[in-house]
This record gives sequence, C-alpha cells and structure tokens, in this order.
Amino acid sequence: MLNSGRYDSLVTPPPARAKERDRERANPLGGVTSRYAGPRARISRDRELAWWRRVLPVIASHRVSFTIAIGLSFVSLVLQTLVPNLLNGAIDHGLVAHSGVLRHDVIEILIVGLLAGVTGIVSRQYVFTTAYNVEADLRSLIYEHLTELSFSFYDRVQSGQLISRANSDIRSVQMYSTFAPLIVVQSLIGVVAFGFMLSIDPLLAFIAMTVMPLLYFVGIKMRRVMFPISWITQARLADVATIVDENVNGVRVVKSFAQEEAEVNRLADAAERVAWAYVKDAQIRGQWSPWVQNLPQLGLALVLFFGGWMVYDSKLGIGAILAFNAYLLMLQAPFMMLGQLVMMGQRARASAERIFEILDERPEIADRPGVYDLEVTSGSIDFDHVGFAYASGVEVLTDFDAHVEAGETVAIVGRTGSGKSTIARLLTRFYDVSEGSIRIDGRRLEDVTLASLRANVGVVLDEPFLFSISIRDNIAYGRPDASLDEVRAAARGANADGFIEALPKGYDTVVGERGYTLSGGQRQRIAIARTLLVNPPILILDDATSAIDVHVEAGIYEALAKLLVRRTTIIIAHRISTIALAERVILLDEGRVVATGTHDELLANVPLYSQVLAQSTRDEPEDLD
Amino acid sequence: MAWGGGFGGGGGMFGGGGTQTGLPFGGIPSELMNEATRLLETEPEHPASRLRFTQRPGPGEHQRLTLTGLISAYPAWVVNGSLLVVVTSLVLQAGPMLTEYAVNHGMITGHRSFRVIAVCGALYLALALVSVLLQRAQAVVTGKLAARVMHDLRIRVFTHFQRLSLDFFTDEKSGVLMSRMTSDIENLQQLVQDGISQFALQGLTMIVIAIVLFSTNVALAAWTVLLVVPLLTVLSWWFHRASERGYLLSRDRIANVLADLSESLYGIRVVTANNRQRRNIANHRHVVGAYRDANFYTGRVSAIYGPATIMIGILGQGLLLGIGGDMVLRRHLSIGALIAFFLYLNRFFQPIQLLVQQYNALQQGRSSIIRLRELLETAPGVDEVEDAPDLAAIEGRITFEHVDFGYLPGRPVLTDINLEIAPGESVAFVGPTGAGKSTMAKLANRFYDPVAGRILLDGVDIRGVSLRSVRSQLGVVPQEAFLFAGSIRTNLSFGRAGVSEDDLNEAIDVVGLRELLDRLPDGLNTVVHERGQTLSAGERQLLALARAFLARPRVLILDEATSSLDLHSETVIERALDRLLEGRTAILIAHRLTTAQRADRIVVIDHGGIVEMGTPSQLLAAGGSYARMFDAWITSGGRDATRKRTGDDS
Repeated sequence: MLNSGRYDSLVTPPPARAKERDRERANPLGGVTSRYAGPRARISRDRELAWWRRVLPVIASHRVSFTIAIGLSFVSLVLQTLVPNLLNGAIDHGLVAHSGVLRHDVIEILIVGLLAGVTGIVSRQYVFTTAYNVEADLRSLIYEHLTELSFSFYDRVQSGQLISRANSDIRSVQMYSTFAPLIVVQSLIGVVAFGFMLSIDPLLAFIAMTVMPLLYFVGIKMRRVMFPISWITQARLADVATIVDENVNGVRVVKSFAQEEAEVNRLADAAERVAWAYVKDAQIRGQWSPWVQNLPQLGLALVLFFGGWMVYDSKLGIGAILAFNAYLLMLQAPFMMLGQLVMMGQRARASAERIFEILDERPEIADRPGVYDLEVTSGSIDFDHVGFAYASGVEVLTDFDAHVEAGETVAIVGRTGSGKSTIARLLTRFYDVSEGSIRIDGRRLEDVTLASLRANVGVVLDEPFLFSISIRDNIAYGRPDASLDEVRAAARGANADGFIEALPKGYDTVVGERGYTLSGGQRQRIAIARTLLVNPPILILDDATSAIDVHVEAGIYEALAKLLVRRTTIIIAHRISTIALAERVILLDEGRVVATGTHDELLANVPLYSQVLAQSTRDEPEDLD
Repeated sequence: MAWGGGFGGGGGMFGGGGTQTGLPFGGIPSELMNEATRLLETEPEHPASRLRFTQRPGPGEHQRLTLTGLISAYPAWVVNGSLLVVVTSLVLQAGPMLTEYAVNHGMITGHRSFRVIAVCGALYLALALVSVLLQRAQAVVTGKLAARVMHDLRIRVFTHFQRLSLDFFTDEKSGVLMSRMTSDIENLQQLVQDGISQFALQGLTMIVIAIVLFSTNVALAAWTVLLVVPLLTVLSWWFHRASERGYLLSRDRIANVLADLSESLYGIRVVTANNRQRRNIANHRHVVGAYRDANFYTGRVSAIYGPATIMIGILGQGLLLGIGGDMVLRRHLSIGALIAFFLYLNRFFQPIQLLVQQYNALQQGRSSIIRLRELLETAPGVDEVEDAPDLAAIEGRITFEHVDFGYLPGRPVLTDINLEIAPGESVAFVGPTGAGKSTMAKLANRFYDPVAGRILLDGVDIRGVSLRSVRSQLGVVPQEAFLFAGSIRTNLSFGRAGVSEDDLNEAIDVVGLRELLDRLPDGLNTVVHERGQTLSAGERQLLALARAFLARPRVLILDEATSSLDLHSETVIERALDRLLEGRTAILIAHRLTTAQRADRIVVIDHGGIVEMGTPSQLLAAGGSYARMFDAWITSGGRDATRKRTGDDS
C-alpha cells in the first residue's frame, strides 16, 4: 500500500466550495462533496479463493445493513404469504361458518398489509444502501490501487480498458453480490411451500418436486456456457470504450487528418462484434433459462396427472390439488429470478475476474520494509553503473556512471532517444534501475520512502499535463495548502504571472480539458511554476521550456538562476541557451556517458557534442538523398 | 491469470475489423480458453463496415431519439416479439383453466374420469414444453432486437460525436462522452432486451385478468378499480417525477466519476511526481461518494415505490374482503362467487409487482435516453452549409481577410488579420507564446471559425466547402504527438489508408526514424499507445511528422512540431522539410528561429495582430522587432542559429 498506516488520516476533509446540490456539474478535483468515508475492507488477495469469496470482505464490511436488509425482507415475505391464509380463514370462519367477526379479520389483514409494506420499504432501503456502498467501495478500491501501480503497468495498458473495467464490470459485480442473497431469501419460499406440501401428502409432494433437481443440473450447465460468453461480451465492451477514449483524447489528430469516416467504421466494427456477442448471449440464455422458469409448470403438470390419479383412486381430496397448485405457483416468481440469478452470476464472475486482473497487479515499485524518509542534506547524486531497459526490451541505459555534486547544475545532452529523459524517470523512481544503483546523499533510492523521495526530487516533465481545474489549483498541485501569494510568487518565477493575470478570471480561470485552452508555452510555464512552488532541494527540468520563446525562457532562467543556487539541478535540454545555465555538461550517447566537462571544453574537444548541437554540419553530407 | 493471451482487446483472435491492439491486457483465463474458442469458431467473419461519414446528418438522423423510434427500425422483430409475448401469456393462462377443467370433469364425485385427468395432465405437460419453446424464441428475438438497436445507437452517437467541433471537446469532460457511449447505452441494452417484453407481458396479463374480474362480479371489480387505481396512479406519478430527477442526477455523477478517473490515468505522471496520490484518493472518494448519494436517492425512491404497491394490494384485498363479506352477509352475493373473485384478484396483483419492477428499469433507461438526446441535439460549433461542395484540389493559396477571432466573447485573440500566402510559399509565424500563432493555424484548418472576416483557400471561402475536403488538403503536425494504440505502422498510415511499403520506408528514412526502428525489437510492428513511455517526446514528434509526410497534404502546418527534438534531429527534419515542402505551401510555427530563418517569409505576430512581415533578410535589415528577437536568440546562446544564416545565404 502506498503508505500503509497513513490511511487513517484519509478521513476526507470536504473541499471548501460547492454547497449547491442537485445538478451541479462538478469539477472532478473539487466541487462535489460527500460524506462517503472510503472502503472499510479490501478484496481478499488470495487468488485461490472463488471469486465471490474474494469480494466477500467488502460485503461483510457492511454486514449490519446487509443483515437488516436480508432479515427484514424475509419478515416482509412471510407477512405477505400470510395474507392468502388470512383471506381463506376469514371466508371460512367469518362467512361460511359464522364463527368469527368479519371486521376483525379485515383489520387483521390491514395490519399485516401495513407491516408487510413498512418492513418491505425499510428492507429495500437497506438493500440499496448496501448495494451502493459496495459499489462505491469497489470503485474506490480500484482507484486507490491504480494510483499505486507502477509505470511499467501504465506502459502496457490502455486507459479505455481500465475505465471500462472500473465501470461496467464493477456494476455487474455489485448487482450480483447484493441482489443474489435477496433472491435466495425469496427462494426460501420454496422450502416453506415444500413443508406445507409434505404436511398434506408426502408422496405427492415428492412427485411435485421431482423435477426440481433438474434446476441444479441446468444451473451447472448454464454456468459452464454463460461464463465464456459473458467474458467475451465484457471484453468487447471494453474495446468500444477504448476506441471512444482514444477518439476523445486524440480528437485533434482525427480531425486534422479528416479521418472521421475511418474512425466511425472502426467503431462500427467493434460495435458489430459486441452485437454478435449479445446475440450469442441471448441464444445461449434462451436455450437454458426457459427450462428453469418452467420447472414449476412441469411440477404442476405432474401434480395434475398423479394427483388426479390419486383423487381418482380416492386416496386424496380435491382440496389438496388446489393447495398444491397454490404452493407451486408461489415458486413461479422465485424460479424466474433464479434463472436470471445464474446468468447474472456468470456475468459477475467474468467481471470480477477482469477486476481482479487489475487488483492482482502488484506495484513493481513500492516501499520495502525498513525504508526511512529521505532527508536531503546536501543533494549530491551518484549514478553507479546504471543499466536500464523498458519492458519493450529496448535497452536505454548501459553502464551509465556519473556524479553530480551537491548544489551543482548539470546539463544532460544527447540525441533524441539517447536516454536523457529516462534518467529523470529513474531518479524519481518512476522505474527502477535494472543494474547498478542511484544514490542521493549516499542513500540508495530503494532504501527511502517513495513519498519522501518524490517530495525532495522535483521534476518538470517534458509533457506539461494540466488538470481541468483552476490555474491556481494546477500550480498548487504539489502543495495544495499554498497561499495565493506563494502561488503568485511561483508563477512569477516561471514568468507566467503576466499572462495569467490577463485571463478573464486570472488565477481562478479553469483550464479546459487537459489545459488545451492554453498554448503549449503557457502550459509549460504553469508546469514549471507547479514544481517551483514545491521548492524541492533537487530539481530536474526535462526539456521543460521547449515550447517557450527565447525572451520568456531567458526570463525564466534569470529567475531560476537565483533559485538554483545551492540546489542540485539536472537540466535536460537541446537549446544552447538552456545548456549555458549549467556548470557542467554530461554528454550521453546510446545510453552511456561519452564525455563530461564544461560546454566550451566539450565543444572544443568532442566532435559528437557539436554534432548533437548541430554545429558541424560541414562534416556531414549536405543532402540525405 | 494469463496476461499474454491474444485476446487483448479483441484484435486478431476475434477476427474481423482488425481495429485493436494486441496490448497484453485482457487475457482470458486459461480454463476458459477451450469453451471460448469453440464459441468464437461459430462467429462468422463480419464484413468490414463501410459507413459513409458526412458532416451534415443524413435524412434519417434528424429523427428525435426515442425508445419507440429506436426499436421501430426493426418492425419484423418487434411484430414477432409482440406476437410471441401474446401467445406466451395466453399459454400461461391456459394452465389454470386445464386444472379447473380436470377438477370439474375428472375428479369431482360423480364425474370421475381417469381419461380426462390423463389427457389434461398430458396437455399441461405439452403446454409447459410449448412455453419453454416460446420463451426461447422470444429471448432470441428480443436479444437480436436489442443487439441491433444498440449497435445502431452506438454508431449514431459516435458519428454525431465525430461531427462536433473542437470547442465541444475542450468544454466537455471526456468522462461525459465516455459514459454516454458506455454506461448509458448498456443501460438501454438491458431495457430493450428484457424490460419492454416483460412490461408488455405483464401489462397484457393484467388486462386479461381485469376482464375476467369484471365478468365474475361487476360491483366488486368496480370497487377494486376505485380503491386501487387512484392510489397507484398517484404513487406512480410521484415515482415518475422523483426517479427521473434521481436517475438524471446519477447519470451526471457517473460521468464525473469517469472524468476524474480518466484524468487521473492520463495525468498519472504528474500525480506521482507531485505525491498527490493520497489527496487524489480522498478527492475521488468525494466524487464516488456523490455518485453513491445520487444512487441512494434513487434507491430510496424505488424502495418506497415497490413495497408501497404491495401494501396497496394487500390493503385493497382486506377492504374488498370487508365489502364483499358485507355483500355476502346481506345476501347480495354467494360465497362461491366471492371465493372465485378472490382467486382471480390474487392474480391481478401479481403482475402489478412485476410491472413496477419494469417501470423502474424503464425510468432508468429514460434518463439515459434524455442524456443521449441532449448529446445528439448539440449542434457542432463549426459546421458545413447544406450540400457543401468539395473543395477541388488546391494549389495552396491561403488568404486571411480581416479576420477577428476570440475563444471567449469579449476576449479577442486576433484582430483584423490580413495575410496572403502564395502557393508553394513557406511562411514562419513568430512571436511570443500566447500571441495567437497556433490560433491562426487552427483557423486555417477550420478547427474554429473566425468571429469576423473570412479565410480563403485558393480564393474559396472555407466555410462554403466540405470540412473533409479542407482538412484532408491541410496537414497539421501539433506539438504534442498523439499516438493511437496499435503498431507504429498503423499509426504512420493513419492519415492515408493503404500506404505502400515503399512510401512507408521513404517517410521513415526522410524523418530519420530508421535508427529508432532498428533499435526496437519488433520494428514497425512495435505496439505503442498514448501513455506508453516506450518512445520519448522527441521520437513521438518524429512519428507525427512521418504521419503527416505520408498523408501528402497540399498545405502543411507545423505547430511547434519539432520542439522536443535535439538539434541534430531537427537538422535532419529540416532537410527533409525542404523535400517535403517542395511545391507545397507551409506554415511553420516555431520558437527556434533557425526554423523561421529557413522560411520564404516571416510573419511576426504579437498582441493579436501582424507586427511585421518580410523575408528573413529584409526583416533583419529593417532592424524591427524580428531583428531584436533574433539578436536576443543569438546572444542568449542560440548559436546554432548562425549556421542557418550562413546556410541561407548560399
């Protein structure tokens, strides 16, 4: 877990704003408030258990409301079954035999009706409370788990897959896990009815129920055939979600290449496959579920034949036939639901397995036992024979060996794909080194807590991702408690103050989806301000000013120069203006250090360096073709 | 758990389309493999869809989205399904009649007949089997109906969503679109498959029994209607209002949940780098909790509705007993008649229960329909005129005529822009960030329409021609290269289907991707996707350039397209551009003045207007704002620029 033990402090303090109820279009990172306190239990980690046993702890954590729901619903059911008896009794005693007062019977029925209604209402309240709490728990659990997973996971899994699993799959698990027990309770009527039948005539009771074991066999068969088709259906729904997700996020590319038609056809193909799966699902279900639904009818036919025979032989009264009829009819509704239950169960199982696929994914990078918080005293960094390859097999760093002095500003220079950005990702432990080690102040990164490491190593990423919240909240993203003055100061440092103030709502301007209402350079400046506000002792600028024009960049670096004093800084850049800020340059090629020295030294002595900086073109053929 | 299964997303193995990825997620558990493979073998090869996309909706698409409208597209299945429902309900009613007949004609003393009993029993058995067959047929018909209807709806919503313009996508959260296309449509699926037929079946049963009730005893039947119907109506009306409110709220809140999730996934690097996990978890709880609260509300409403109708039923029976019993005591009614009435009365209340359940599902579906309808009725901000002709193949003259533009009313970004770019000319836009350079490109591409003035391509106002014909002749390479999940090959050929291997190789060599591809174990078939870190930002830009190169547009717009490249790669690219731009018009937006220096003409944009314009040497000689920028660039270390200047002189 990401910081086990600290979870207790997660009792959510409601965000300050937004009292408006009802139809507020809430801002995902603030806005809507709820008293939901988070999940109380987790899904069992034991992969050997059956799927429902793994979900059980989550349901069990709502055992009070769950028990009340089930208990009261049973009470309500019993009260409802009393009504026919009361009516019969009233007619027999009050009207036929005149042995009772009809009014009393009527009042009795009214009271039973009221009680049945009230217990029914209360029990359903608890049913829904449990159901929606379980759903919220599952959603939170998945979200929490996703925030813990390592980047190697995100490198291979598409968002659309995750969103689909965190949505439709959760829904189907929740539906089943809360409504199944309720249906089972309703089916207990069958036991009651069988009891009544036994008391009338054991032989006929057994004959009436002979077909019921078929339920078991049909159920087994249904489980076998429904599970695969459910899985296929869910997987194909996820495909649709993935296409939609990509088209939302890549809408600019689709439009600028005028590829709408191709995308519509891509979706149509996926929709076609979903449709096939649904039809197949309906066919398989149609093959089996009517048998379950009609089992009571088969029982009725048997009662008519054998019961009639017994009546014919004067071994049974006609009343018994009518009673058996009534009891078997009572089974009709529960059996209809049982058929659905088996189907829902298989869908839930398929969905649960798909959710477990995420939850069983262990974060590759997590705090080991015995780690301590990193306290940066000086800020020296050692790369000790570091080797690294991404999961795709591309070896990026081989035997990368370097030392950065405390307080030093170092530029890492290399061609596209030489592994520069990877160094930033290793230093923040987005990935772990495959070989060698990295140390800050002599402490191995693996020995300190992730949270303290990332608090001390600030990185401005090459892609300035902004959230669709206000600019102020975006800048304060790493330090949400920062005052507006601090936010302003950081924005000034990143030379962003000017354009922010010029916006209609200034710092409270909400940037559109992913910040696309701002230009690339503006986004980069906000991203720099975001990191400056955190004020980390170690700073990495990963190509952080590529879209910013020279004037502005100069201003930023002027501000940075003051900030960078006594701060260890790694600059990854292509521009000489940026590189000039560094005291020392490390030249990287094919994952190793080729040379280190000042800019002028490298320029004078290392041909590759000037080549990377595109200076010695005369040595190259003038044309590629 | 098998990660490695080829089931990832349904690509190769699921056959057809070939849209998907092969990303190793979504593996099918091995124990399922055989059964699933057997199932999939029965799947026919789906012919690849060949739908036409038009910016203006076709004649059938103007129809308002309603449930009945949706299903009436398949009249044969609707009729078949309805007939099956009617027959099934009749068969179900025949059972009790057989029993009654057998009792009266085979069991009552004096009328005992084993033959009657045996025949009735056999008939009953046959009826049960028939109803199995009927229900099976009905499940298949409604299943097909639901599957086709939802298939059509998915395409209709997605098509509309492709028609919407960029302003919609910046305003609306991706979660909203996602939930419309997924949970809203899945909601309706259930409704069409089981809900409607059940609703019809139970409604029919109720009517049949109501008729029987009236034929048994008019007075008691009238009392039943009087006692029960007004209460049920009031209750249902209340439920209709309250549940609609609740379900709409819950639709909106699930969209928020998905938006929050989606944003967290895409921004996971920023989240992690800023140690925001715990705070985001707390925040997600609020969003999830708000969704839960909306569900609680609908839960409360339906928790009252269901049992309250049961209660009304029981209370009604109690009161009818009082009324009927009184009639018996006054000798207005025989006991036998009362008993018979009560036998049917019970059957009258049973379908009400099921109807109530289905009504709940119907309400839920309605809220999805309402939200989908809202989406479908959103007009695109940038749209085609009726019957817009295609823009003929252009030479590449771009004209801005008195163009004013602002994203927000009252906040102009560009004012009175006049600019003419000749065919084959390359023009660099320079100026501070946020000056409006990218906005000019977005206007030329018709991502947005100007507030005033007009933009012409080869003298034709781009608002008068089809969007596709404009955009397919203009290639834009943005700063942030978006990659679709799939192989590098499919990403490269995104702009032009059926690119030949030779063209592909040429593009790869020209932009300098060869080295990268040699490094990747799977080469061109390496699977990439949006968030994947296999490729660096610079490498992604190279891919985007190659993609644009392959699309062969008449006009090329590079919007900071090389910002993440090292200077060496950029040099390679710029040489490639010389070839790529041969005979093409180009707009280059860049901060590195090396790029600008290479252009035929430089346009300096600042404060929403054109400040200066001319060839690089003219502007440098003029000593205006460009010359100042250039000096700053040189002195601030842009020494790499010097080469370009000398290079251009030659």
